[in-house]
Amino acid sequence: MAGIYIHVPFCKSKCSYCDFASYPKEIGKTESYFACLYREIEGRGRQLNGRVFDTVYIGGGTPSVVDSKFIVGAIRQVKKFFTLSQNPEITIELNPGTVTPEKIKEYKSVGINRFSVGLQTGYDDQLKRLNRIHTAKDFLLCANMLKGENFSADILIGLANQTVEQVKKSIDLAIAGGASHISTYALTPEVGTPIYTDYLNGELLSDDEVADIYHEIVDYLKEKGFDRYEVSNFAKQGFESKHNQNYWKRGEYIGLGVSASSFIDDRRFTNTFKIDEYMNAIIFNKSPEISSEIIEKEDAKFEFVMLGLRTAKGIDKKEFNKLFDCDFDKEYSNALLEKAQYINSTKNSLSIKPEYLFVQNDIILAFMK
Amino acid sequence: MSTKKENIRNFCIVAHIDHGKSTLADRLMEKTGQVSERDMEEQLLDSMDLERERGITIKLTPVRMFYKAKDGKEYTFNLIDTPGHVDFTYEVSRSLKACEGAILIVDATQGVQAQTLANAYLAIDNDLEIMPVINKMDLASARPDEAAAEIENILGVDASDAPRISAKNGLNIEDVLEQVIQKIPAPNGNDDAPLKALIFDSFYDNFKGVICFVRIVDGVVKVGTKIKTFMSDKEFVVTEVGVFSPKMTVKESLASGEVGYIAASIKSIEDTAVGDTITEVNNPAPEPLPGYKKALPMVFSGVFPLDGSKFGDLKDALLKLKLNDAALSIEPDNSAALGFGFRCGFLGLLHMDVIQERIEREFDLQIITTAPSVSYKVYKTDGTQMVVENPTHLPPTTEIDYMEEPIIKASIFTPPDYVGPIMELCQFKRGVYKDMVYLDKTRVEMKYELPLNEIIYDFFDSLKSRTKGYASFDYELAGYQKSDLVKLDMLLNGDICDALSIIVHKDKAYERGRQIAEKLKDVIPRQMFEIPIQAAVGGKIIARETVKAFRKDVLAKCYGGDVTRKKKLLEKQKEGKKKMRSIGSVEIPSEAFIEILKTDNDK
Repeated sequence: MAGIYIHVPFCKSKCSYCDFASYPKEIGKTESYFACLYREIEGRGRQLNGRVFDTVYIGGGTPSVVDSKFIVGAIRQVKKFFTLSQNPEITIELNPGTVTPEKIKEYKSVGINRFSVGLQTGYDDQLKRLNRIHTAKDFLLCANMLKGENFSADILIGLANQTVEQVKKSIDLAIAGGASHISTYALTPEVGTPIYTDYLNGELLSDDEVADIYHEIVDYLKEKGFDRYEVSNFAKQGFESKHNQNYWKRGEYIGLGVSASSFIDDRRFTNTFKIDEYMNAIIFNKSPEISSEIIEKEDAKFEFVMLGLRTAKGIDKKEFNKLFDCDFDKEYSNALLEKAQYINSTKNSLSIKPEYLFVQNDIILAFMK
Repeated sequence: MSTKKENIRNFCIVAHIDHGKSTLADRLMEKTGQVSERDMEEQLLDSMDLERERGITIKLTPVRMFYKAKDGKEYTFNLIDTPGHVDFTYEVSRSLKACEGAILIVDATQGVQAQTLANAYLAIDNDLEIMPVINKMDLASARPDEAAAEIENILGVDASDAPRISAKNGLNIEDVLEQVIQKIPAPNGNDDAPLKALIFDSFYDNFKGVICFVRIVDGVVKVGTKIKTFMSDKEFVVTEVGVFSPKMTVKESLASGEVGYIAASIKSIEDTAVGDTITEVNNPAPEPLPGYKKALPMVFSGVFPLDGSKFGDLKDALLKLKLNDAALSIEPDNSAALGFGFRCGFLGLLHMDVIQERIEREFDLQIITTAPSVSYKVYKTDGTQMVVENPTHLPPTTEIDYMEEPIIKASIFTPPDYVGPIMELCQFKRGVYKDMVYLDKTRVEMKYELPLNEIIYDFFDSLKSRTKGYASFDYELAGYQKSDLVKLDMLLNGDICDALSIIVHKDKAYERGRQIAEKLKDVIPRQMFEIPIQAAVGGKIIARETVKAFRKDVLAKCYGGDVTRKKKLLEKQKEGKKKMRSIGSVEIPSEAFIEILKTDNDK
């Protein structure tokens, strides 16, 4: 498995919790940005000639904010210079306030077959406070356009004064709209974002309150037919995100565009976060990377465990043994013993017991050397 | 050139802390040309950084000065500086033995204070001539007449002609020098008698071995003299003698009446105990000088490296400190919670503080100290007796017949306004009221007997906060008393944390147990499981708190761009865990042990 990630760094406005590479004020550079992106796609495609990629994910930012011709062009470019497997999963992130039936039609015309919709919450006052540009009604309109499509909805937990009932109602809204996949993220107040001030003032929910809501909605989603396959991701059977699962299996991926990260041939590298720097680099045939590191074997082993244990299924020990030419149970005998009560360890797999998935850091740490 | 005995004056300066002892010493040296004003570093005698910062003297420093008096004769002055704090009373008393007189400094704004009195009595006990000086005349609030009256009333020393000086501004310093000659007697002693030299301090020099600071009482010592001390049978050959001016200056010999140093390739500071008498092997004195007493540690505490792997460094640091500090006692200690460390004995709380700070500053080591303890006498049911300085060494209750704890005699000086709060405090600290004297309208001396174990907890801080810092305090050990003591254990998840055990009075156990449990609750991070914190006496639980299990310990998302960052976060978390100590299955950050010892005055 291998994936392609494409970053679109434009938005109508910045959400109050967002610390991603998104630049509402730079939207005027859309045309030149995509020109550079196409060049990067071409260059990387030639470099990685011969490899087969199974998924494409267009994220942001808000990919749906730009004219659909740019997205169409990007996918065409990918198909031209990369080898995709048969029936690749191709996802695009959408903001409900920026889509039109025409855009969706265009997306579908180039093979986009999965949509990730940023619902966040079904309550307009909460959306407003998050500085989202859409309303609950916009979401329903968007869902209507996606009727019959494979789409996912993102929902946030931990907003100021949020109750578990509100989260459930938001989930209801997503399911009523036809979502086959739901991601629930605990709001993380990053330094430098407006919401960090709310956090400092104690207005956001505490970790304990978030945990309470989380555990309730895990059960709630299960009732509704959505199984948790990773800490924050729930899907109806068969609708799990292939692109994201590749990350947790420590598969390879190439990231294209501003701020995009890649992991190819044991090397992790990341493009610059600045649009101008990115474009300059591409135009002058220089590397847009700002960081790069080779992951040594011991680190690689830990990453494999750290990422794998995020999933419900956990780690395939045989795969580990094959990849790293060693015996998992021997390698981690101490950790397995120390954390025995929190894990399910069988001959072929290791996973965290469902009730401890939300307190997994301490368990994972036992596997760090 | 050797000065005639009648032209030598050996004296010290005694004072309450901050009354200007070191400043006066500096002025005297400056006036006698020992140090030029230009080279003068503020308070030359307090040479350790720590001493200068705290304004206290810890190690003694003798200085030799020459003064041409108004009578036209040249005099040699040996000024022996004395530590200014109650913890170092023993150091004060032996340096007094090297003198014939003492300058008693009294602050003209504060009058006689606790340590003025304690140190003046020590000087009187040692038959020294007391020469009062009233300092800080430069301050507007100076009231020298009242200070002089206090000296006369409280100490019974004539202060009518006491020089009124400002050590800070150099006012009337000459009067002090002249009075030293008139009032302080010249030493007597016999150069032809067998050698008797009092060791009043020592330090370790990497090249010369132990350097003994001595006052020659009788006889003469020079290079090549074969010497021994009365307490040790070892013999040494003198390699160097000299005086302090104020740096060490080599001389041919030291004769009776003189103050100086002796080096004799002595390897261990233990071989030349302070207070001991040096004599000549071939012509020994029949008996030593009187008054030798070993400095006994009164306060004990476990000292452990914050980072367990630094045990070796801590050992080196303590051994080096001990080379220059005979009062510090060290023995290896082992705690289930804190690993390998040392049980150290100190003269008092300040001494403990000073040692801790020196370890951290001079050796760049972070340490954890356990709650200070005192030494208890335990009388067992089988008729034997033992001394317990470490709570974990206390035998089971069933084997204890009864216990005794050290008691101190405390003198507290305070403005009358605070008498009520102080009485309340002393009562709370199990004190027994002894006496109260109104020294004048503005000051009262209160006398109490208090258990030392209450003093080492938070007495100083409480006294200060209750009197807005106005009260001063001094104490001396007054023996042992039978007491109803119990061992208070702290249990984490059912396991006793040995480093947190303390010995307390039965009536205090509940309160202390509750306080420590509350603090532990604040400092122990939440973990995978709920952690009960219990305080127990014997098998009985007397207080309980709970650290809830954490509920969320996960990153919200982890996709392609998050791996490196997430890994770094976990690495940081792992680093933090490495600094934790395990008590059974519970992990405690090392800092928590330090936090627990901090006393809250607001509570």
